[in-house]
Amino acid sequence: MEFEPKILGIACNWCTYTGADLAGTTRVQYPHNVRVARVMCSSRVNPAFIFRAFQLGSDGVLIGGCEPGDCHYSTGNYYARRRLAITKKILEFAGLEPERFRVEWISASDGIKFAEVVKEFTEEIRALGPQTKFKVKKDIET
Amino acid sequence: MKDIENRLKQEAKRLLESGEAEVVLAYGRGYDEKHPMPYAAKAVSDVDNIVFDEYCTFNMTRYLTEYPLGTKIAIAVKSCDSRTLIVLMQEEKVKREDIVILGIPYRDMIDSKTGKAIDNSTACNLPNPVLYDILLGDEVTERDDGSPYDVLKELEEMELDVRWEFWSKEFSKCIRCYACRKACPMCYCDPCFIDQSQPRWADKSPSLESNLMFHLTRFYHLAGRCIDCGECSRACPVDIPLHLFHKKVSKECEEMFDQVSGMSLDDKQVMVDFKMEDSDEILL
Repeated sequence: MEFEPKILGIACNWCTYTGADLAGTTRVQYPHNVRVARVMCSSRVNPAFIFRAFQLGSDGVLIGGCEPGDCHYSTGNYYARRRLAITKKILEFAGLEPERFRVEWISASDGIKFAEVVKEFTEEIRALGPQTKFKVKKDIET
Repeated sequence: MKDIENRLKQEAKRLLESGEAEVVLAYGRGYDEKHPMPYAAKAVSDVDNIVFDEYCTFNMTRYLTEYPLGTKIAIAVKSCDSRTLIVLMQEEKVKREDIVILGIPYRDMIDSKTGKAIDNSTACNLPNPVLYDILLGDEVTERDDGSPYDVLKELEEMELDVRWEFWSKEFSKCIRCYACRKACPMCYCDPCFIDQSQPRWADKSPSLESNLMFHLTRFYHLAGRCIDCGECSRACPVDIPLHLFHKKVSKECEEMFDQVSGMSLDDKQVMVDFKMEDSDEILL
C-alpha cells in the first residue's frame, strides 16, 4: 500500500484556522493528510504536544499562527516563535529530520497559502517516508 | 583547599552565631573522603562537620527551594552554582536579601565517579562565582580553556541518522530513576509533567519512546535556564551524557537570542521574553 503521511496541524483560531476555513469555503483543494487541531493562539502550543504527536505516530507536525505583528493577543506569536525555534533545534539534535516539523504564519485572508503550505508539506513528508524514530513500537493500550 | 574549608567554617560560625543565617548549606563528610555529602548546618555545634575538598561537586542551590520563602540561608557556591542562584532569583524562587552567598573561588573539582577533573567539557567551569557576598579566598586567575561548547563539535558534525543512533542508544539505557531531575536545581516543579496522569504525557515505565518524551521535554524546560553545572550527568547511574544535550540547547539560545543564562540579575530569561526583531529564520 502506498504511504499516506499523517500530519498533525495545530492552527491558531484567529489566523490560520480562519484561513483554513476560507480555503474550504472557496473550494480550494488540498491534501487531506493534515488533521487540524484548533488552539486559541500559537503560543498555546506546548512543545510537549509536538514530542507527543511524534510519539503517537505523526509523520509531520505543522504549526500555524498569525503573521508577527498580527497576533490577536498582540504578542503571543513572538513568544511562540522562540519556543518553537528551540523545539526544532532539540528535535534536530536528537536526530529527527527537522523537515518533519514546520511553522508557518498564515493570515485569515490567506486560504490559498494554507492550501499551498499543506500541499508542499505533505509532498515533503511523503518523500521522507514514515516517521519511525519517535513512534511507540508496541501497541498502545486503549 | 584547607584555607577555603577553614574560611567556610569561620564564616558559617559567625553567621549562625549572629543569627544572620538560620541554616548554612555546605558540604559534610560522607562514607569516605572521596564522597562528601550535602550538609545543612543549623547550629553552631554543626559547623565542625563542614568540609570542603575537590570532591565537593554538588550544586547546593538544589536545596534552596526546599526551604520556605523568607528563610535566612547562607550557602556555599562555586562558579556554576552562583549562576543557578541568579536564575532562581530571576524566577523569584529565592530572594536576594534572604541569601548570604559564600563564594568559593575554585575550579577543577574532581568527579568522584570518573576520578577526572571537571573541565569545561562537562560543566561551565568559570573560575570565580558570578555573584557573592563573601569570597572565601583569592580570585582564581582566568585561563584560556576554549569555549564550553567545543565538546559538541563531534556530535554536531555527525550525520542525522548517526546522531539518532547515538542518542537512541543512550536514552534506551535510562531506567527513569529521575536522579537527573532530583539533582537539577532548576527542576523544582511539583508535580513534574512526567508525574501527571491527566494528561499522561508518557508511559511511566522505561522504554525508548517514553524516555525520549521525558528527556526532550526536560531539555526544553531548561532552555535558557540551564547554567551548565553538569550535575545531571554526574547523578546519572547509567552515565547518559545529558549535559551534552543541555549544552547544545544553551548554545542555540545563546546564538539565537544573544544572552547567556544566569550571568546578570537584570536579565530577563530568553524563553519568557521576545524581541520583535527576532528573525523568522530561526524557525527554519
